[in-house]
Amino acid sequence: MNGVALERVFRAASGRIIAALAARFRDLARAEDAFSESCLRAVRTWPAAGVPDDPAAWLYRVAERVVLDSIRRDRKQQPVTEEASLDPSPEELLLNDACILPDERLRLIFICCHPAVATEARAALTLKLVCGLSVTEIARAFLLQEATLAQRLVRAKRKIADAGVPFELPSPEAWPERLDAVLSTLEIAYARAHEDAAGSGAHAGFAAEVLHLTKILTHLIPDDAAVAALAAQVRYAEARRPARLDAEGFLVPLSAQDPALWRRDLIDDANRLLADAIRIAPSEPRTLQAQLQQVWCARHSLADPAPWLEVLRVYDRLLLTRDDPIVRINRAVAVAEIEGPDAALVELSRLDLPGLEEFLPYHAVRADLLRRAGSLTEAATAYARALQLDPPAAERRWLERKLAELPRSEN
Amino acid sequence: MKYALLIYENEAFYGTEKAGPKIEEIVGKHMAFAGELGPKRIGGAGLKSTAATTTVRTAGNRKTVHDGPFAEAREQLGGFYLIDVANLDEAIEVAKKVPILQDGAIEIRPLLGQ
Repeated sequence: MNGVALERVFRAASGRIIAALAARFRDLARAEDAFSESCLRAVRTWPAAGVPDDPAAWLYRVAERVVLDSIRRDRKQQPVTEEASLDPSPEELLLNDACILPDERLRLIFICCHPAVATEARAALTLKLVCGLSVTEIARAFLLQEATLAQRLVRAKRKIADAGVPFELPSPEAWPERLDAVLSTLEIAYARAHEDAAGSGAHAGFAAEVLHLTKILTHLIPDDAAVAALAAQVRYAEARRPARLDAEGFLVPLSAQDPALWRRDLIDDANRLLADAIRIAPSEPRTLQAQLQQVWCARHSLADPAPWLEVLRVYDRLLLTRDDPIVRINRAVAVAEIEGPDAALVELSRLDLPGLEEFLPYHAVRADLLRRAGSLTEAATAYARALQLDPPAAERRWLERKLAELPRSEN
Repeated sequence: MKYALLIYENEAFYGTEKAGPKIEEIVGKHMAFAGELGPKRIGGAGLKSTAATTTVRTAGNRKTVHDGPFAEAREQLGGFYLIDVANLDEAIEVAKKVPILQDGAIEIRPLLGQ
């Protein structure tokens, strides 16, 4: 197993293992450190001894031992005041022997998204601990300096430990207040997973996990529109994954994707979830966002007209409750299809967002609009700017191709 | 875990003497609430107004005595509870029930050394 494959195993296992250890030992920092240590030991021993049949169970058992050892060490330095119960109970031993790794990720998500944790740290912490993303990757997704993000994560973990944030799932009456942060977090996590269009990148493994987690939430909280809508949204997106790349590995825009390649089972599932969301709260922003996806996924072949007008209408409704730059950038794409690229460029020029210069979707959309409007030199500059912002592989190739295809002569 | 719940309100609401019907009302509520808390309450008190406050400041090696609270603010510390509960969520539940007659804030501070 090479380094990349090992990395993938570690990443896939990290959320479940850290969650299980944190739930059992009530100590987030210890759980995270122990998991890192068990990965190091795997790197040292697996190449010679062979990869175990169940790598996650191996990593869990080693990490568990690391935690127990470190607790014993700490206890020795202090007088023992209470009966230590560090040894696993017979039940736990049985579970271990059966290689069962309890799934505590939902619990971990609720801890990471506790209102006592700084708002801006919650999503990053969840991505780090539950999905195993690196600080570098999260910093890029959040348009932050790595050092800033790292410091934010350390502070958040210290707060969780010092303030006594519980390791139990919140009681149902506390859910509404705790939920929005959880949903935003899952949304960002899926966006990162989906970004790598081929599904072969480092994030591919957790796209399925995010789908799973959103489904669990719909069972736990059945009457919430936002929960159902998010579950629908990620399913629509996942359904289109097989059509996102052409045979050469280039990104295919949504309007040019062949609906025959879309996964109907996921779309049907998403339609059912969205129907629930609409019944409960039709104007909820997440309901409208899922509806945007539904509008596209209602297409059965490329012969069906592209639903730009419906798309624009949903964006207009969305702007009433959620007027943010991302919505406006996406709305501009629909405007371009109906009123032309110049009208869309005017919309983009009205955007005001700190960090817009560093925001990849803005430059990618703007480059495309400039090209269609015939401003080729400006388009080339915008494509180049987008490429500087480190786009994921498939999008990079698409942008490179668009840039290369620009006619050399100026209009 | 042990927490201090620090109650911040605009004390002007109660008058500088902290006496009269409003104080009687809030004290009554605190008495009832303390009874409700039972063994979860391990301490606490109401505080006289900042007009009765004296501050000892240390700067370098010098200690100086001043009239008034250490910082002027729109809301003042008016009292506190010490509680012993399972975790932050339970502390938050308790904090939400602390009687308060106007806008204000309850700050939840875990005690050191636990």
